[in-house]
Amino acid sequence: MASFNIDPHSGVPIYLQLIEQVKRSVALGVLVPGEQLPTVKQLALDLTINANTVGRVYRELERDGVIETSPGRGSFVRDNGGVGRATRAVEDVASAAIDGAVREAKSIGIDADNAVKLFRKALARWYPGLNDTNELEDQR
Amino acid sequence: MDQSTPAISIDRLTKRYGQTAAVSGLTLAIPQGSIFGLLGTNGAGKTTTFKCMLGLARPTEGRILFEGKPLEPVLFERLAYVPERCALYEWMTGAQLLEMQRRSFARYDEKRANELMDLFALDRKKKLGKYSKGQQTAMALVLAFSIHPDLLVLDEPAAGLDPVHQRHVLDLIIGESAGGATVVFSSHQIGQVERAAERVAIMHRGTLRLAGEVEQLKADVKVVEATFDDEAPSLNGLAGDPSVGQIQRSGRLLRVYVRGNGDEIARKITEHRPRSVRVLDQNLEDIFLTTVATSTPDVMER
Repeated sequence: MASFNIDPHSGVPIYLQLIEQVKRSVALGVLVPGEQLPTVKQLALDLTINANTVGRVYRELERDGVIETSPGRGSFVRDNGGVGRATRAVEDVASAAIDGAVREAKSIGIDADNAVKLFRKALARWYPGLNDTNELEDQR
Repeated sequence: MDQSTPAISIDRLTKRYGQTAAVSGLTLAIPQGSIFGLLGTNGAGKTTTFKCMLGLARPTEGRILFEGKPLEPVLFERLAYVPERCALYEWMTGAQLLEMQRRSFARYDEKRANELMDLFALDRKKKLGKYSKGQQTAMALVLAFSIHPDLLVLDEPAAGLDPVHQRHVLDLIIGESAGGATVVFSSHQIGQVERAAERVAIMHRGTLRLAGEVEQLKADVKVVEATFDDEAPSLNGLAGDPSVGQIQRSGRLLRVYVRGNGDEIARKITEHRPRSVRVLDQNLEDIFLTTVATSTPDVMER
């Protein structure tokens, strides 16, 4: 069973944090198709958050096609397409994070060339096998 | 009963003590089955509001309805109130007080009461006068939750409790609400309210300053912060923008409170060639502090 962590003090609404985490778990295979999610009440108590917030998370995940809920049985990760949708959603999260990083770099006066250098440095750090970035490191 | 009827609706409530208005013109609707957090500094009028709700103080003006009807004695069978300062019978033991609760409430659940006594590690044989302040609060919570109330009114329920027991209180509130109960509580611990409450109201000096869904309030307010090489420009154009709230200028720093997504305002500020611009999220504590701040030393426009 996946475990989720929310930060109530973050400015990001709790339901958005939780939606992202469920999608991430599905995309990474921590939650597999057909797997049952905890009940709304159980997850609310596990995370000590409002049950209506969890209910909203489940409704939005259902609308996004990541999970399906059948009355009386509970909520499950969808068999067809749920993983693909969750993967695309997680790509959106990554894209937003990269966008934020670039904006931050620009906001503190780093020009485009230097931003590219920083980005390549980060790539080399996190994708150690990448030849392209090794060459770039040599050029510097 | 119609689910759209609020569990509690407060309509233009005013309570004056002599010349002092403890609460003035408060209007609030608390939806059924929700957890509602009431925030405010000391003296904001939270306790007075609770007292008026429960008929412990008579409103000077305005009215309060429960499920669309005025407060009736029969409601007390399914309502629980934990006041800020609990007055328990000090000469009774915990067990004796539970027995009294059993005889008073048809809804009393003995098994539940015993679980709660164990949860808060309360000694049944000890006289309540010998309980610590935190234990007395916990005892009052045991009584409240032992009757499976439909409506819970809790004034600072976690005051004096250790962090473990504070978390138990939140769990109880969340569990009871998930079972359909409506919970109204006040707390100075904004983090707790942020976790548990679906909606909040922020009161200050007797009046309502802000109310809404916690998630919506957080999503709605962003701060765009910019630093300039020289003194921050006055940016008169921004003040006319409907999404802009407070604008603070202090030396080279400019802070603009924006309703909704702050990106557009950040872009406008960028045209004035700042050294840096960033959009900051606001948590409930930030929102609370901004709401109750009546004046700041910074230059304020609007």
